[in-house]
Amino acid sequence: MPKPAPPRALIADDEPLLRERLAGHLARLWPELQVVAQARNGREALALFDEFTPEVVFLDVHMPGINGVEAARGIGARAAIVFVTAFEQYAVQAFEQGAVDYLVKPFDEPRLAATVQRLRERLAAVPAPASPDLAPLLDRLAERLAGQLGAAAGAAQGPRHLQWIRASVGASVRLIPVDEVVFLRSDEKYTLVVWAGGEALIRKTIRELADELDPARFVQIHRSVIVALPFVAQVVRGANETADVHLRGRPEVLPVSRSFVHQFRQM
Amino acid sequence: MTKDERTASDSARPPAGEAPTGQGPPVLASLNAGSLGVAIGFAVAAAVMFTPFFAPPFLVLLGRSLFLAMVLLLAFVGVQRLPERFLPFGMPRWLATVLAVGIAAPLGTFVVYLLSVGGSVSAFVGNPARMTGFFIIAGTALVLGLVITLTAQLREREARARSQALEFELERSRLEKQAVDARLALLQAQVEPHFLFNTLANVQALVESNSPRAAPVLASLIAYLRAAMPRLHEGEPVLATELALVRAYLELMQMRMPDRLRFEIAVDPALERLRFPPMALLTLVENAVRHGIDPAEDGGRIEVGGVREAGADRLWVADSGVGMAATAEPGTGLANLRARLAGFYGPGAELRLAEQSASPPHGLRAEIVLPR
Repeated sequence: MPKPAPPRALIADDEPLLRERLAGHLARLWPELQVVAQARNGREALALFDEFTPEVVFLDVHMPGINGVEAARGIGARAAIVFVTAFEQYAVQAFEQGAVDYLVKPFDEPRLAATVQRLRERLAAVPAPASPDLAPLLDRLAERLAGQLGAAAGAAQGPRHLQWIRASVGASVRLIPVDEVVFLRSDEKYTLVVWAGGEALIRKTIRELADELDPARFVQIHRSVIVALPFVAQVVRGANETADVHLRGRPEVLPVSRSFVHQFRQM
Repeated sequence: MTKDERTASDSARPPAGEAPTGQGPPVLASLNAGSLGVAIGFAVAAAVMFTPFFAPPFLVLLGRSLFLAMVLLLAFVGVQRLPERFLPFGMPRWLATVLAVGIAAPLGTFVVYLLSVGGSVSAFVGNPARMTGFFIIAGTALVLGLVITLTAQLREREARARSQALEFELERSRLEKQAVDARLALLQAQVEPHFLFNTLANVQALVESNSPRAAPVLASLIAYLRAAMPRLHEGEPVLATELALVRAYLELMQMRMPDRLRFEIAVDPALERLRFPPMALLTLVENAVRHGIDPAEDGGRIEVGGVREAGADRLWVADSGVGMAATAEPGTGLANLRARLAGFYGPGAELRLAEQSASPPHGLRAEIVLPR
């Protein structure tokens, strides 16, 4: 058996001062360890891992693009992974198993020394013991992370209702919160959006909007009209199975056509 | 926009914000026990009053007066419930009601008399006693009908004004509650632990490496923490304080991601003494970092600006980050901010969000517009 080469490490963190600090402490605590690469995000971490195949990887959990947990899934059991995170609430839970270690930022040198000790033991055990299967654990962790960063990772979670309507107002594209939209009415090729702060034409059709808007809030009352229920003041029945919708604090009266009038029946 | 307003009903509720003299459907007028009671009451009184002077017995007179009262009531309610577009010549509803009642009184009396003589017009017109009776009854019905109609219209108008005042009151207390809630939320969640610990980790790195940057960064952190601590008793908050807070925050973030964050603050000095709700601008800057710059591998640039224009003061935070998905759930931060602006400046204040570039959707610009 050949003499083992000195262990090598990869550090991934989007904050450069923290990469440097970790590298500095590692150099003091574990002089044989070579930090062969530093990555600024998950994508870089995966690329550099494939290039250098280090035995040890320090991953910041919160990184732009591909986050630390996703990167860890890409690396799998090919290296000993240590998470570095300020999100201690779930990291603690996930890594109690001792399969990999975690560091909560800001950490001190004695804490890092314990991590180094653990890593040395792990690498010394030759051949490496079969790593427990981390995949399900990492999947769970990734889910929780996505939940926490929900707002940032928004689009990733399947079809959701429209929350913002893009509309050109003058030279800019305004984002109108759907909570403020009073009604939408088709106007030839375009759709007129009327909200508390003004009105604008958008290119989406009433049909598309009816599919994308939250049905608990928006109701189509006419082939060409969608109204937001919280802005409905009253519905006045008219002749011939039709009705008129009067709005709260607005002069417009919207028509309810016969095929949509049933929606107000049970109210 | 409260939950209970979601149920639409066709019972009497006027749209908010309508002028008291407006055209909307009436509040009171409907065929209910009250209006029916009034009509029957007057009919009985008329029958009692006329019995000594008329040939037919009381019950016959009562039947006639009840019939007449119902005709007048139906005329009244009918016009009141008529959809706007069916009112003739676009006349106001009160006039149409008065006309309808005025026509229904003699017409109804005529029908009553015609029925009593078996439908023969000549038998009725040829009898002077019947003609006198007709005129007396028609006249009484006309006068009573018109008096009651006008009284009802007056009460209707009052009820409408009351219901409107109530609605305004409700709206006002709702806004106040929102503002209080927003202030409370602000006091509870001042400094995010992640932000604090990540920043401290960076400061620690600077201190350990004896970096000369440690001292100014620590100064920024102190300035940020001081500004972000809840302060209940303090003088009038102004924009200058808020800008210092925003600068401290951006400096800290720039220390943490020097390769990814650039920023510029350029606000008209005339705005420095502007009364400004604490943390309002910071909320927008934090959003720009968290949702715009931080998720972008290459980061971006944040511009904080403000100008005093003739009609309004405008403050904005623009970033060149990843922009926003149309389905992104709006956080409580923006809703709270809207409520706080409304509470602080009144309903004229506006928070506008716009994209920096439409295609591809990129970057966000949040603008606070404060009419002067």
